[in-house]
Amino acid sequence: METNVEKVKITIDGKEVLVDPGISILEAARQNGIHIPTLCHHPALSSWGGCRICVVEVDGSPKLAASCVTPVRVGMVVVTSNERIIESRRTILEFLFAERNHNCMICAQSGDCELQKLAYELHMDHLSVPASFHEFPTDVTSDYLAIDHNRCILCGRCVRACQEISGAHVLNFNNRGPHNLIGLDLSETRDASTCLNCGVCMQVCPTGAIYDRYRTHYAVKGHDTAWQTTESLCPQCGLMCPAIFSVHDNTILKIDGKLEADDSRPDRGQLCSKGRFEVLKTMGRRLTRPMVRNGDGTMAEESWEKALDLTAGKLRAAARVKGGAAIAGLASSLHSNESLLSFRDLMGRGLGADNIDTLDGAFFRTLLRVQQDMNIPLQEASWKMIPKADHILMVGADPYQTQPVISSLIRKTIFENRTKVSVIGQQADLFPFAAHHLQLEEGGEPTLIKAMLDEVTGAETDDAKRAQAAGLLRKLGLDETGSAVFHEIVRTLTEAQNPLFIAGEGLIAAGDGSGFNSLVRLARQKGLLPGSTLRLIILKPFGNSSGAWKLGLASEAEPGSKGQATACVLFLAGEQISDPDLLERLTGLDFLAVISPYIPESLAGRADVLIPCPLWIEEDGTCTSLDGTETGYTKKVIEPPSGVRDSWQILSALAEQTGFRPDFETWNDLSNAAQKEMGG
Amino acid sequence: MGKPKIATVWLEGCSGCHMSFLDLDEALVDVLSKVELCDTPITDFKDFNFPDVDVGIIEGSIANEEELKIACKLREHCKVLVAWGDCAVFGGINTLRNTVPKEAILRRGFIETESTVGGVMPVDPELPLLLDKAVPVNYHVNVDVYVPGCPPSPEAIAYSLTEILAGRIPVLPSEMMHYD
Repeated sequence: METNVEKVKITIDGKEVLVDPGISILEAARQNGIHIPTLCHHPALSSWGGCRICVVEVDGSPKLAASCVTPVRVGMVVVTSNERIIESRRTILEFLFAERNHNCMICAQSGDCELQKLAYELHMDHLSVPASFHEFPTDVTSDYLAIDHNRCILCGRCVRACQEISGAHVLNFNNRGPHNLIGLDLSETRDASTCLNCGVCMQVCPTGAIYDRYRTHYAVKGHDTAWQTTESLCPQCGLMCPAIFSVHDNTILKIDGKLEADDSRPDRGQLCSKGRFEVLKTMGRRLTRPMVRNGDGTMAEESWEKALDLTAGKLRAAARVKGGAAIAGLASSLHSNESLLSFRDLMGRGLGADNIDTLDGAFFRTLLRVQQDMNIPLQEASWKMIPKADHILMVGADPYQTQPVISSLIRKTIFENRTKVSVIGQQADLFPFAAHHLQLEEGGEPTLIKAMLDEVTGAETDDAKRAQAAGLLRKLGLDETGSAVFHEIVRTLTEAQNPLFIAGEGLIAAGDGSGFNSLVRLARQKGLLPGSTLRLIILKPFGNSSGAWKLGLASEAEPGSKGQATACVLFLAGEQISDPDLLERLTGLDFLAVISPYIPESLAGRADVLIPCPLWIEEDGTCTSLDGTETGYTKKVIEPPSGVRDSWQILSALAEQTGFRPDFETWNDLSNAAQKEMGG
Repeated sequence: MGKPKIATVWLEGCSGCHMSFLDLDEALVDVLSKVELCDTPITDFKDFNFPDVDVGIIEGSIANEEELKIACKLREHCKVLVAWGDCAVFGGINTLRNTVPKEAILRRGFIETESTVGGVMPVDPELPLLLDKAVPVNYHVNVDVYVPGCPPSPEAIAYSLTEILAGRIPVLPSEMMHYD
């Protein structure tokens, strides 16, 4: 903050105040606790001055000024409320109500409508203008978001949010005058449009014009004054976006992004479709009681004590007969660090299991191999670097699928900073905006990156390397256009001062990891970032992959290489297993215990014991960021189904049954231990 | 001078506002001791006689010719006209039909309903004709006092009546005002 800027003295409602120059009258009033009603204005968006609800009287001028777009001026005398101003505001509001159908059943029940709140505030007890009674269309084509144009007041908040916050530029105004509608692309329906379903338009909508299709119970869950809000974060992809949960009656009513978030997050507090909607979706039938397989193959409910006793007994027996190699533990990397740490202690120290792995273990092993080959630690760059880059090379990465906010951030940086983005491989939503897009045959990425490395390292001087690169390109079967794009990417990369590489599953899971090896070499060619950080972002498949890997949950050896396990504990966080290889591996076991929030449908007939655990929204925990440098705290937002115990308590109880006493007795001890392991 | 006279009418509405008035419970005794309740649906009058009253109260929107006639006559015969409830104030749920042509509504109601066999359009001259649109009372006559709410709370009704009886034109405080 600059302190030497001369403040401006203005008078608002008879009160002399000193404010920063250049700010609007509205900001000046709010900083000084003076209320001015607004409608099209939103603190996280640029001011538009469209609705004229925020009008004030300036220096007694007969023409009222919109306070959100009128900058302060030395000696200005502002009146925010008198009969004329209120009359003007109320008349505008009456016109808004008269223009479309605002006889809404939901708002009076939930109270969650800014237009209605304003009508109460401005005391609109009737309409002095005739209502139009014209019917406008509704669009319910998307599974996520619906638009009811009858409720729309054309304040344009959604249009601005779509541009300024999500960078999607999907929403705009279509038609003119009384036919003016919020439109998607060129008047597409929501499902046919390029909408990314991030839902930021819904969050900023002051009426019920944009609503989602998950909260059918919204209106009947009581008035918004009775809701509790919990500020937490979303651990589903590693970006740890702040999220505000509105809860009533142990039901999540909505999840909002923290749009007024400070500057430390370049995403400006948006959420993606995963963070805003997927949590509200049920992924199957909840498991609420432990279940044990009977002799006839059917699953029957069992008491906690007996189920845990049985599980511990079977695991102990397997270990006694065949040693640690007989026991496997497999965990989802969506779990919190605390849950994963207790799982590791139970399986490793408690049962001496040799086979402990995560569901994304294969991904980890590729990274590990490159790390060992090159003999360097892979310290990845933070995703927050994206707006600072001047060239972004994405290989086999589809952030819209894995980390959607990264995709949004890249799109924004293309528009705002003219950053050149090169996309190599399958990629759905960014390539229309990318400077270069190179579509390859499946599995072609490693060869291409090797060619790129040869080309970059051999540029200008080393003919042999360039010949080698040309050979590789021929092998890929690139046509003339493809080859030109390749050289264009190489040229851009060579000229870039501050490039950033983004690698995803398409590259890392492909082949033997040589493509990723080449990419790391390529990234090192461009120099390291401060803190010996590579210019590389790795899009990991699970929300807490970094945390799980740091805790050593992912196995360094290929599964099965330390001997065939006969008993396994599978620790799921809400996913259903569909990978055929994994299902195959889980089939031949003597004993399989599954700890999961949902009934693992695909494991029917395979699992011997099912133990319910909470979802991440139902227990406290910490998670680790994508680059592994930050830790975030996810709070318990709602209670788990009755009878379901916290994950760490289940695992501790199991540990005690096996005769092992964990180091921690309380959740705080456990959390501190997890923090220490994370290096924090 | 006698007690102030009040008449109420029930137009295109559900009678919920009159119910809310009866919901005054024991306060009703107090209100009725101060006023003379002339024609009102509560006393089960079949024909409305339009006595000259001090306060005329309308529940419901105006949607047919008879309702329009009653509203106009009541306006003529009262000093202060009060609109009770969302239908009278904003048009309410009756305005749902306004986006569909009147003829289509009648056809759907009397002929095309799934449970109707051989339906005919009613033509009895006794029946009032539908207006093109269901509209709030202030489309056709001047209204002096607005009491929105579906229904307005008994407190809002009592407050507005008390104010009128005290010789003031009431403006409902925000906390008494609600839509729906």
